[in-house]
Amino acid sequence: MAQNEMIDASFEEDDHRVAFIFQPNTNVSHEKGTDGATPRSAKRRKLAAASSSSSTPKKHRQHGSTGTNGGVGVCFPPLFGGTEKPEAAILRRELFEEAWPVLEKRVQHVLREANRNTLDEVAGFLKRAAEIETDKLTSAFIITGPNIAAQDLLFEQLAERLCADPAGGDAPPRFVRLRASDAPNLKAVLRKIIRDASAAGPGEDEDAGAEVVQGGRKYLDYDLEALHVFLRQHQTRRVVVAFQDGEAFDSGLLTDLISILHSWRDRIRFELLYGIATSVELFQARLAKSTARQLYGAQFDVVQAGSVLDGVVKTAIASTYAALRIGPSLLRTLVDRQHHHVAGIHAFVASLKYAYMCHFYADPLSVLLAGQGRLTRPMLQPEHLEAVRTLDSFKAEAEAAVDARQLRHARSLIEDDEYLANQILDHGARRNEYLLRLLRSLHLIATSGLTPISFTDLYILALSDGVDISQSSGTIPLEDAIRRLNPDEFLTLASRLLHAISAGSPELGLTDFTADAEDLVASLTDLHDEVDGLSSRARSQGTTLKSRYSAQSRVLRTTVVAQKVQLSRDHATLTDEDRAFTAAVDKLCEVLAQHARCEPLADLFLHEPWTFDARAPYRDVFVPRPGNTLGRALVRPHDYLACACCAKAAADPAGRLDPALPTTAVLYHLYLEAGALINVADLWAAYYALVGEGEEGDGEESDAGGGGFDERTALVQFYRGLAELRMMGFVRPSRRKADHIAKVKWL
Amino acid sequence: MIASLFQLPDELIISTLAQAFPCREAQIRALATLLCQPTAAPCRNLVVYGTEATGKTAITSALLARLADQDNDNEPPNLRYAIVSSPECITARHLYETVVAKVAVALEWTDSPSRCESLSQLHVELCKMLKYPSRPPGFRFVLVLDAIDRQREAPHTLLPALARLSEIIPCLTTVFIVTAPAPNLLLISSVPHLHFPTYIKPEFVAILSARSPPGPNPLPNATPQETADLWARFVAAVHDALARAACRTLPALSHSCTTLWPRFTSPVLAGTHSAKEFSKLLVAARLLFHDDRLLDPGVLAIPPSQPTSKAAGAPPPRPPPSAETKPSSAPAAPPPVPSTPSRSAPTTPATPAAALTTTTGAGAGPALARLLPTTARHLLLAAYLASHNPARHDLTLFSTHHHGRRRRRGGLSVSGGGRGGSRAAAANKHKKIARKLLGAHAFVLERMLAIFEAVRGEWGDGKDGVEVPSDGDVGMAIATLASLRLLVKVGGGSGGSGDMMDSGGKWRVNVGWEVIRGLGRAAGVEIEEWLIE
Repeated sequence: MAQNEMIDASFEEDDHRVAFIFQPNTNVSHEKGTDGATPRSAKRRKLAAASSSSSTPKKHRQHGSTGTNGGVGVCFPPLFGGTEKPEAAILRRELFEEAWPVLEKRVQHVLREANRNTLDEVAGFLKRAAEIETDKLTSAFIITGPNIAAQDLLFEQLAERLCADPAGGDAPPRFVRLRASDAPNLKAVLRKIIRDASAAGPGEDEDAGAEVVQGGRKYLDYDLEALHVFLRQHQTRRVVVAFQDGEAFDSGLLTDLISILHSWRDRIRFELLYGIATSVELFQARLAKSTARQLYGAQFDVVQAGSVLDGVVKTAIASTYAALRIGPSLLRTLVDRQHHHVAGIHAFVASLKYAYMCHFYADPLSVLLAGQGRLTRPMLQPEHLEAVRTLDSFKAEAEAAVDARQLRHARSLIEDDEYLANQILDHGARRNEYLLRLLRSLHLIATSGLTPISFTDLYILALSDGVDISQSSGTIPLEDAIRRLNPDEFLTLASRLLHAISAGSPELGLTDFTADAEDLVASLTDLHDEVDGLSSRARSQGTTLKSRYSAQSRVLRTTVVAQKVQLSRDHATLTDEDRAFTAAVDKLCEVLAQHARCEPLADLFLHEPWTFDARAPYRDVFVPRPGNTLGRALVRPHDYLACACCAKAAADPAGRLDPALPTTAVLYHLYLEAGALINVADLWAAYYALVGEGEEGDGEESDAGGGGFDERTALVQFYRGLAELRMMGFVRPSRRKADHIAKVKWL
Repeated sequence: MIASLFQLPDELIISTLAQAFPCREAQIRALATLLCQPTAAPCRNLVVYGTEATGKTAITSALLARLADQDNDNEPPNLRYAIVSSPECITARHLYETVVAKVAVALEWTDSPSRCESLSQLHVELCKMLKYPSRPPGFRFVLVLDAIDRQREAPHTLLPALARLSEIIPCLTTVFIVTAPAPNLLLISSVPHLHFPTYIKPEFVAILSARSPPGPNPLPNATPQETADLWARFVAAVHDALARAACRTLPALSHSCTTLWPRFTSPVLAGTHSAKEFSKLLVAARLLFHDDRLLDPGVLAIPPSQPTSKAAGAPPPRPPPSAETKPSSAPAAPPPVPSTPSRSAPTTPATPAAALTTTTGAGAGPALARLLPTTARHLLLAAYLASHNPARHDLTLFSTHHHGRRRRRGGLSVSGGGRGGSRAAAANKHKKIARKLLGAHAFVLERMLAIFEAVRGEWGDGKDGVEVPSDGDVGMAIATLASLRLLVKVGGGSGGSGDMMDSGGKWRVNVGWEVIRGLGRAAGVEIEEWLIE
């Protein structure tokens, strides 16, 4: 509770805010105590503080109740300009709190499972290495990929695994995790190893980890003898030292450390684990050769980010368990960022969570995601219906209805609130139906193994363009691949599809859908049996079964008739079996095309409440662009500072430079016009010409609001502005020319 | 009287030791004489020196252990010793405390030792334990300082001060084990030095023949005698091929022999040659002796399990060498465990010839390309260009201003002449070293970013067309490259690796040409086109 208060306080404090944004026209609308008539500036802070102090107990009470019944925490602010019913806001929050944990759990599961193989291999290697009598330090090099931050989980799991599974009935080994930032020098890193290795384990009492003193001797804190004594007391010899970011360590330090650990290996059995981001060769090139010879290593690969990503998309985003669909364009952005940048899977998960948060926090229609029982007619306000009528999919539906001459339907959609409300209440079923169709199609296509496209790409394609496997017009053309099959492949494909239908897909959350696809199952079984019979018959006849598509279908025939050569094209002779097989292939194409079919997401009526496809908030939050942001803020400061003079500047159509703008902004304009080297005296002259008092205004009292600054004030402003520009990294002092500053190109 | 004055050490000890450490009998005798004959050969300090893996530490400690054991029969023990390995000590203070602790353990001293922070305190503590208590006549204490020349953070007075310990404490003998002593190492006259020379070929062969060969012994199609003979001749051959030029130490030679043996004897196993046909075997295996990767075994003892990207460059499986480092360099070490060599034996004969043609550096490029995301890859390439192209050519290389299209390497070469007279130009040319050979130059970060911006459009996959510059991600990629030390910061305001936030300072690319070329090719960029010679 105290912590909660701390958090509240920190949000109240302006000091902790990253940016200050003037918002003169917004009221704290949901606070009842605010009356809009009061002048703002001085009082607003007080009011905010007062309201927050008055609201904190309430929040606490609510928070307390969260602990007991797991219900609502701090409720979301009502939308629709504040007219949203509180129940709806609460419902949105509940929906979020139900939807996200499901997803998070599945993602975590995937991530943990992805490392399982590596864990097994590493543990097995350490066990085997323990049996081999070698004078070297056992070391496992785990190729983790460049995103070191994401490997915390891996090393955590390694620690759990190795400590839980002691080799040969020993006491569990001590596990020490090192990061390069922990290791500025040899003493510090030894200190950390000793401290972490002799820290009390989870199952031990605290005194065991107390300072080791033997025979009255106190050890230096970097003396491994202390660790040795400690380990002897605990009847173990093994210490596993994990270098989480192996490359970031100073190579001299690493060399020293390895040779020290090596010289102790007859007393303490050190086992080393390195997280390597690039390659073992590069790592080895940085070690001294004599050090490299002291290592007995093996290399392990972690499942690469690409396949982990595929797994996450499959089990979390695409699966039926996901309440909210991430739209194709956002998902494409997220996936591309994974491919092109060092983002890491955790950034991906964070972006997902942010998408969920945005949707439920800011979209009033997200209440429509609630199931049948909870979304009731009274919950739907007129505003909800209005909002629905502004949706693109609503317009599309209405226009389609008009085109299809269903005028009554279109009219009632637009005019009849009750009719629309019923449609809305029904849309859940339509959504489920669509999702099932989509996922089943994808499942069939993915299990067929006919396409090299990864599941993620398939999913994105299916959401944006729909699923259609026909060769000419389809989004995922598969027909050619099917036609090229030979009988054996045909049989495996058929049985694989049958199995896919009966087994469903636990990852996607699909269960056995034999009942829904009876005709598909029936025709697949028929085809399988038929082709099986055909091929066995062909084999007994000594021919190979081929279809019209796989055989060289056309043969060029040369006939000599009366000393004239006649060329004629002819179809290759197909036996009856071949023809039957061709028919079977065609039938399979047809059946599959019928079942693996789905329209794009955007064609669906009322898909907006359960999809989130906005890229802008994601970009703003996860991909900061400080250069552009600063540049824009300096070019158009009036967009950010809502003061009167700035409003005037904004209104100025000629785009002239207004002296009333902040000095830094004025200087930035001048800076943009200058060349690579800027003479400071010229800059000052230009600036003073802009802001200084005119010739005629000599006698006038100078102030900011009047006709300009006097020279001293202007100079102070100028210096300050220039210093700010320098601090923001736009200019730097140049040694090339006296009195000049150089532009720093900031991309 | 004479006997008591000059009594040779027990012959039994020496003979057993000489058996355990063949070819070292002279050194053992000298050491025994110097250490336990205070009356005959008064010796307060002793410098034992010799190159790596010549048995200095092993023989000293073994000898001392036996001498102390032998003395245990007499009522008061006459010889005690302590061995301190100084590479294990992080600081000089650590060394002092270790010395005090080990001496205390050796003397069974019961008082708790106090802190010992300097050399003078060390003197005090040692005097307390060794000088003042009354000891039986003839009592000696031997303090062995192993590899004391490699002590970290040693003050320059350390060695002379340690040498004077025995002047203050009469019953103390200090043994310094070093690699190559300087002429006046201890600043004391007439310190006896004992040299452990490197083994010569007959000695190597004798030592290695004393061990049984790794793997099945005897070989399947040979008698034990034949196997032993073959092993001895094989060791001699390996010594001739490799040891003379490169692997001069016993562990290195032993490692080479252990590694080569299974491959060398595979024809015997297969039955194509008999164990007696040494020269035929040698001819069959002569390729093996050319393989210099044996000399640099690398950190990977077990080849990577995934053959995907490195099928060609994978090192052949290497069995763990039995004796590698100093304590085990004693030839009496247990024979190597046969499990690994025999497991790897059947698969190996084909690999060395194929592996000879590949270089190790080429393997890193594709692996890097697989791991690094696109932005980081392009940044690394841009950094390489910034490091290896002079800044004055940037405009020609990267600007589209004049030509509409970037002008690449066509005819762009640095011409030396033109300015001065022809002689000056010739001299200039003579002095000029190819830039590639000079290594990576430092560059400012902005230049690299500018290059990155200039080339990313051309190098990109072209799918997106215009790409939005996203500063945050580029910054993250740079930080990642820096933390992987693919890009290192040099200089800078606060001393090199100090402050990452400091915008001053320059950067340098830290990967070589081979890797970069591989990386570029994986990204579809021929990096040579962008380099000016």
